[in-house]
Amino acid sequence: MSYVWDFSPVFRDAGLLVEGLANTLKLSGLALVGGLVIGLLLALARIWGPRLVAWPAIAIIEFFRNTPPLVHFFWIFYALPIVTGVSLAPLAAAAIALSIQSGAFFAEVYRAGIESIERGQWEAGRALGMRFSALMRRIVLPQALRRMIAPLTERGFELVKTTALAATLAYGELLYQAMVITSRSFRPLELYTTVAVIFFVLLFGASLGIRWLEARVARGQR
Amino acid sequence: MEFDFREVLENIDLLARGAKLTIALWALAFIFGLVAGLPIGLARASTRWFAHGPATAWIEVFRNTPVLVQLVWFYFAFPVLTGMQMPAFVAAALGLALNTSAYCAEIWRGGIQGIVRGQWEAGRALGMTGPTLLRRIILPQAIRRMVPAFTNRAIELAKVTAIASVITVHELMYEARLLSANTFRPLEVFTVIAFVYFVVIYPATLLSYRLERRLAAKG
Repeated sequence: MSYVWDFSPVFRDAGLLVEGLANTLKLSGLALVGGLVIGLLLALARIWGPRLVAWPAIAIIEFFRNTPPLVHFFWIFYALPIVTGVSLAPLAAAAIALSIQSGAFFAEVYRAGIESIERGQWEAGRALGMRFSALMRRIVLPQALRRMIAPLTERGFELVKTTALAATLAYGELLYQAMVITSRSFRPLELYTTVAVIFFVLLFGASLGIRWLEARVARGQR
Repeated sequence: MEFDFREVLENIDLLARGAKLTIALWALAFIFGLVAGLPIGLARASTRWFAHGPATAWIEVFRNTPVLVQLVWFYFAFPVLTGMQMPAFVAAALGLALNTSAYCAEIWRGGIQGIVRGQWEAGRALGMTGPTLLRRIILPQAIRRMVPAFTNRAIELAKVTAIASVITVHELMYEARLLSANTFRPLEVFTVIAFVYFVVIYPATLLSYRLERRLAAKG
């Protein structure tokens, strides 16, 4: 093996990669907020909605959890405009696809968290004369949220990794920018290695930070 | 807007061929990843740094980078590293297998470490060596508990195979993209494809729910 590494194209176009990273973060942020909100609505519909609301919610959750994210991206970008008559920019299509897809997973995290609270807690709250909203706010959610943090974080990481699929819609996130630079510098190995390293530093760094935070919170609670 | 599925139906053999390749990709990557995951998981559980360190690095790299980036990287890196030209299918299968090995390693490790220490000590007291102990005492107990996690991994992998279309593997998603571009019928093509994936993957998900419930009931 006599491959000569040459990272000069990476440095020459570092500005494009920085822009790509910013776009990756932008898409992640949009989809995270969208996904958490959509997930909440889906979970509420699934747990407490009347059948007419609960069943479509279940259908959406199961459909998006059991089909490839790449298909969602393509469906929203190429097929949805035919249904609605409104064409979408790559960022909008990617954000919508990713929001619904991760929303389906977030919904199940919310549901598992809320349903994990023992019935005695609900009954005790009712016995004290609490209304549903007070019971949720003061008894159920404070306990459920703590249990949801770990799986929500894990899903958040999955979401950030899935943003790379937006490259297939020619949205200028990190991977797409690397593809653009590769097409004129012919240094795929160096560029994709750099992209992998950036993702790794971002995600592994974040997970170390979260572990550190968790340890601190756990210490504070004792 | 009106649905017109004629073009999709006329090209159904194209999609069927793609589906076959999807299944081949999925099965190869899963079996290889599952098997390769065991030694990596054992190394990660080891207390020796020269085993623990590389295994941890392997697992963290695969879990903290996007699969699409991994596949694109392997697609370009394999020929350079091995000096051989490699068909896209082989690169994708190998890339997905390595990715799966990292995730499966964590499942193996968790399952093996979940067995109480007394079982290890009892095996040692009977004079068993490491491999025998693992094969006769630990794994038979651990595997039952790992089945739901492996099923989940298989489901995730089935969804991830669609990404191989990006490096021109002619699997289901690739054929769908081609068909959509040639017929100008993205609505019909991608709707059909989404349902094909759903029909294949959802039964597996239902199975994993059942397995999890059964295991929870057994305790």
